[in-house]
Amino acid sequence: MIEIYLRLVDKILTPVILLIAIFLFLRGHDLPGGGFIAGLVAASAIELTILARGTQATRDRYGPWAVPLAGAGLTIAVGAALLGMYNGGFFRSIWLEFSMTGEKLKFGTPQLFDLGVMFVVVGMAITYLLRLGEAAEAAVTEQTRLGRQTEDRQR
Amino acid sequence: MSLHPTVITLPVAIPLLLGAAGMFLQFLQLPRRLQIQQTLVGGGVIVNLAVALLLLVFVLNKGPVAYQMGLWTPPFGITVYLDALSAIMLVMVALLSVLIFPFALATIDSERAQLGFFPMMLFLLMGANGAFLTGDLFNLYVFYEVMLMASFVLLTVGGTPSQVNGGIRYVVLNLVGSMMLLLAAGVSYGTLGTLNMAHIAVRMNDAPYLVQAMIAGLLLIAFGAKAAVFPVFFWLPSSYHTPHPVVTALFSGVLTKVGMYSMFRIFPLFFPWLLNSWQPLLMAIAGLTMVVGVLGAFAQPTIRRLLSFHIISQIGYMVMGLAVAMTPNPYGVGFGLALAILFLVHNQIVKTALLLGGGAVELEMGTGKLNELGGLVRLKPLQATIFFIAAFSLAGFPPTSGFIGKLGLLEVTFSSGQWVIAGVSVFVSLLTTMSMIRLWQYIFWGKPHRHPPTSRRRMEPNYAWMTTAPVITLVALSLALGLFAQPALDVVQTAANQAIDRAAYVKTVGPMLTEQDLRIAPPEWGLTDLGQATELAGR
Amino acid sequence: MTAFMLALLVGVLFACGAYLVLQRGQIKLILGLGLFTHAVNLALFGTSALTRGAPPIVPEDMESVPQRADVLFASYADPLPQALILTAIVISFGVTAFIVALVYRRDALTGSDLAPGELATVINTSDPFAEFTLRTKLPDAADDYDILQYELDEVYDHPEAEREVARE
Repeated sequence: MIEIYLRLVDKILTPVILLIAIFLFLRGHDLPGGGFIAGLVAASAIELTILARGTQATRDRYGPWAVPLAGAGLTIAVGAALLGMYNGGFFRSIWLEFSMTGEKLKFGTPQLFDLGVMFVVVGMAITYLLRLGEAAEAAVTEQTRLGRQTEDRQR
Repeated sequence: MSLHPTVITLPVAIPLLLGAAGMFLQFLQLPRRLQIQQTLVGGGVIVNLAVALLLLVFVLNKGPVAYQMGLWTPPFGITVYLDALSAIMLVMVALLSVLIFPFALATIDSERAQLGFFPMMLFLLMGANGAFLTGDLFNLYVFYEVMLMASFVLLTVGGTPSQVNGGIRYVVLNLVGSMMLLLAAGVSYGTLGTLNMAHIAVRMNDAPYLVQAMIAGLLLIAFGAKAAVFPVFFWLPSSYHTPHPVVTALFSGVLTKVGMYSMFRIFPLFFPWLLNSWQPLLMAIAGLTMVVGVLGAFAQPTIRRLLSFHIISQIGYMVMGLAVAMTPNPYGVGFGLALAILFLVHNQIVKTALLLGGGAVELEMGTGKLNELGGLVRLKPLQATIFFIAAFSLAGFPPTSGFIGKLGLLEVTFSSGQWVIAGVSVFVSLLTTMSMIRLWQYIFWGKPHRHPPTSRRRMEPNYAWMTTAPVITLVALSLALGLFAQPALDVVQTAANQAIDRAAYVKTVGPMLTEQDLRIAPPEWGLTDLGQATELAGR
Repeated sequence: MTAFMLALLVGVLFACGAYLVLQRGQIKLILGLGLFTHAVNLALFGTSALTRGAPPIVPEDMESVPQRADVLFASYADPLPQALILTAIVISFGVTAFIVALVYRRDALTGSDLAPGELATVINTSDPFAEFTLRTKLPDAADDYDILQYELDEVYDHPEAEREVARE
């Protein structure tokens, strides 16, 4: 089940994919990208971990965090929408501008909202992948067990 | 009294925020987290009811109010619109959730509570409130889905085989219905170039008949599937008897009624003329829904299956009221809609009372099969009396709210010249009475077949009043609505008048057809004359 | 022509989805619902003008934005259907995940791909997914199974309540 090559790939690639996710997230507002896509990319990194290290190890590492992460994401997203009340209305955006080494940086509540979306997507995807991975593993184990039984009987 | 317009988003924001917080608590290993969560949800439903009542009072005094999410100009952002109709629905759903909450607290087992039953209640509430408030077709779809996702979880939490079976049927048929709604939104955007409901209403005026018919047909299928009208009701009786009784009661008060509300909102707003030209179709749907529902109820062997067929049957009356909404009659156009709204409110109250009462019996006796029950009138005289009143309110006996609703609907259909459907509805009322007598007789009359098994849960000090008080309150509400019908009639009349007043809707949402909008409009939308367009926009 | 092909594709996807949903077997149900949602998403995609290689991102200098409708539609894709499709994809992703979980749960509980009450005799006829014999094991006495009766027994005969009674 646990492949040595996949483990190597996982060790190298997972941080890279997570970095790509962060890049996509930060790129989000004015260019293609954003929280949802970043969340899906991050979830794909975790799927790679599941494939490489098996469901149980991944569950031990990420499992307890999945649902609280989604809940926190939802809270952050709604909180960002509520922050807009300060600027005149629900879901109204607030922008802060910094200038750093000549480059203008903008940060605002839409980013916060996107962060919440990303957390929700990652949390939900982890839960889903872990549950189904577990299911698939159980099915495979059962199948091999039953297969072995039939082989024994044939013998 | 003045109100910041942002307040009208609170019925969505409060349950969402508290539900998210509850979900956040869900998997944190805090001590007493279940108690914290339940307190949170209880507070949430009560605050939600308070906000809804405030909004209803405000709307009745000041008229409809609209708010733009993020303060975008109307056709581009998401509009939130509140008028008396949506405020009534908000209050009713909030009230039902407040009354169902103690019942759930008393009867939900800790296993289901651990799996997140209570936060899901808030998410269901949030979806329903959003569907009542939104002024945007696509946003309506989104809120439907939010509500349905919560309902999927509530339906299958616990995960017994029958729940899973019912859940699959429910999810698949509802998903297909939602796809129809999404397709209607797509057709609306593709042909009319807008998703804002007020904007659609304006542009629907000079849309070709094919476009109107397509959108109306898709919406009729979509909302019909949610409201369980005749050809698309099959998901309801095949899933409603599987979950915990509390869930069935909550669904009957919220889910199908949201579908009905959407019909009340959309049809008079988008194409009031189609309500007249499609009247035979709507009448056929209404009549068949009533008859099939009530005849199906006779064959059912358990309490909840019987009552779920009655849900379908009663939906037929509301469709009947909608069908005569725009027909001229001596009481004024829109009186049919007013009575349909009144009937909806009555039905929410009474059906929830019946399902909670029946659910309490079911939980107490350990069975809901009619032929294994009986003789409970001696054991539980109070429950028997309440159930009796609720059953006769459903059948339409005075002095309950069912009498007022049915009498009014009959009156308005007769005076609109729809004799056939009025006759059918009287016949169905008779059958409903028979079915209700049959139900009451099976549960409470005769000799007891078995004694209730004792359970530790039922020994808890507050169990008795927590399960009976909500039912008593609901029945008292039904009686009050029947005895003091005039104020209620005034309120629903206001709601119906606001719902059929398209110009006021468009005006409240705001001026939308800007010059810019006209310039980028493709020629096939046929909106070239600015003067004509502003007139249409009701400015 | 592109629009016509898109419409045709939407129709074919709808037809295939409806066919698959109506078939017996849960995997087909899931695939059918997937096709259904794809068809609707494609239909939404077709509601905007179909432009090639024109992402809906307007440059910062508003002066260069064309003011006339036809030019505007030709040089930028309409962003709204894309947003709608994204939302619809998210929702259908959630619902599909839920259905997969439900089907898995049913599979684990009943050991069968089929709903209870479906006749055992029809399983092995012309069903490409039925090869895997371990999965098509039905509950006992499947021949004259009354689905309603089965469900009602299952809903109303609470084993835990009886166990509690026995304990006391």
